[in-house]
Amino acid sequence: MSLRRSAMLAAAGGALAAAAILVWKPTVLVYGVQRAGLYAAVAIPMALVLGIVHIVNLAHGELLMVAAYLTYFGATLLGVDPYVALAPTAVVMAALGLAIYNLAIKHTLKAPELNQLILTFGLGIALSQGVNLVFSSQSFKLSLGYVSASATIGDTSFGVYDFAFVAAAFAIGYGLRLFLTRTRFGKAALAVGQNPRGAAIVGIDVNRTYGIVFALAVALVGAVGSMFLTKQAIFPDVGGPYTMKSFCLVAMAGVGNITGIIYCSLVLGVAEAAINGLRGLRGWSDIVFFAIIVATILARSRAESRR
Amino acid sequence: MRRLARFLGPLLLAAAAILLPFAVGAYPLAVARTVLVYMALALSWDILVRSGQISFGIAGFFGLGAYASVLADLHASLSPVLSILAAGAAAALVAAFLGLAILRLRATYFSITTLALAEIFRVVIHNGGDFTGGAEGVVLPKPIFGGDSRQLYWLALGAVLLACLCSLVFQKTRLRLALTAIRNDETAAKSNGIHIFKYLMVAFAASSFIQGIVGGIQVQSLGFATPESVFDPNYTLLPLAMALLGGIYSTPGPVLGAMLLGVAAEFLKLKIPYGHLVVYGIIIVLVILFMPRGLFGLARPDRPSAAKARSLLRKGGGEGSSRA
Repeated sequence: MSLRRSAMLAAAGGALAAAAILVWKPTVLVYGVQRAGLYAAVAIPMALVLGIVHIVNLAHGELLMVAAYLTYFGATLLGVDPYVALAPTAVVMAALGLAIYNLAIKHTLKAPELNQLILTFGLGIALSQGVNLVFSSQSFKLSLGYVSASATIGDTSFGVYDFAFVAAAFAIGYGLRLFLTRTRFGKAALAVGQNPRGAAIVGIDVNRTYGIVFALAVALVGAVGSMFLTKQAIFPDVGGPYTMKSFCLVAMAGVGNITGIIYCSLVLGVAEAAINGLRGLRGWSDIVFFAIIVATILARSRAESRR
Repeated sequence: MRRLARFLGPLLLAAAAILLPFAVGAYPLAVARTVLVYMALALSWDILVRSGQISFGIAGFFGLGAYASVLADLHASLSPVLSILAAGAAAALVAAFLGLAILRLRATYFSITTLALAEIFRVVIHNGGDFTGGAEGVVLPKPIFGGDSRQLYWLALGAVLLACLCSLVFQKTRLRLALTAIRNDETAAKSNGIHIFKYLMVAFAASSFIQGIVGGIQVQSLGFATPESVFDPNYTLLPLAMALLGGIYSTPGPVLGAMLLGVAAEFLKLKIPYGHLVVYGIIIVLVILFMPRGLFGLARPDRPSAAKARSLLRKGGGEGSSRA
């Protein structure tokens, strides 16, 4: 009951905030939603890995960056659009994910959780610095005509291209949910996530499931990386903040709540856009996610102590 | 006799370290100073790791200390040496305050929050306007001791000795038992009457204190600070790799790792200006996969106490053997 009430309160508060922002600066809402789409699209694969393999992949943002580089060179060499390169990139990234799982992560699953954290941290460094070694810290950017498409409602005009990320977030989020609840493999993966030992007893190959789920998550990040390239300049450190923001969203939505991430990312995206919209506070938007993490933690621990 | 040998090694090493400036030229001395800075950070990180909490926030508290020192020097006209102490105090205070919230977190949640810390501190300093110097940073009138390389070296060595001392205190007193218990099984530790939050707070504040001091020393030695230079993620990455390679949960481990990797870092930096850090990423991955106890862990046989406990368990039978 109280859960339902707090959910309703949150929804009402959100609607009120949205209305206030709409009156104050409609573009903030638009850009916030667009930002949220990208954040959610990147965060959902991390939630998948955390929910089923029970690993926080600190190389998550770096994998996004690697996929963007792959797409950049694939697309420019072959002279095709990043969206054409999206599927091949996802396949290559899936192979990379499978390799990372089998060569590294698999061997730390039985070790303390902290070993896995340090391992993926080292992996992230190796990826970003490896790219730095090969391509230097120079940034690459594609200039595509369609990303500057805009629309005008009343007397405010805004870019519409970034709604593609919102669509991607919904597609990934609800697609994954369907996959996990409707397909045989998905159900097996959920079972493994809930109880690996029990799943093994009923004949599910836990290790194989982990490997495929990890590869799937990396492939999804790879696809988002291809989209990421259409809009943003890429450089070796571009992925780092996305690891932290993704984790922030996963923690906020609660482990296992994949579609909840979409709504949590709205809070983060709109809050960041709102702070960017205030002239004096522009530089501070990067710490919004930290404030959200701390607030979430405190709220959680209070709720737990009350129980 | 064996006891004497155990003390003799570290003492000889310390004596050699103190006398080093008389033996080598300016460049090796500068390299050695950098190694010492990372060594102190690696030691400080290891103190907290013993409680099972991995901090990725070394650069955060290092940079915080650096800025605390510079600002205390410029705005409160504290003497450089005092400002370094103030840097440690500031870092410890901020750690204690943040610890009220983030030490409720465990494992992953704690680690990622600390990973964000360096970024948060950087943003705060970056947007601090004239008080912090903003994006351009601040320049001190002159480095501490007039930039004399020998004295700078001894200053950094002082930080390492402080860190070693602190690490030994955490190893030889009951703090070690408490932190190890928390690391191994928090519930069991709690039911044995260990005040978990208190011990974590002590470890977190102590390790941040050292990181703050080292930050103060580094910035006073270089004579300038910018948000990008003092919150450089390398100050997290290198100490972490050093402690892991040398062997965590020990004092000699981080020292050994820092000596090996610190010298290697200098060499690599000259050979490969871009991306030489890839080596550290790879080292971290390999150490975790193939020797989680590090080099020192390979060399160190099972602790006699652990072996004794195990044989007791074997003899004891009953519930003891079923658990072992």
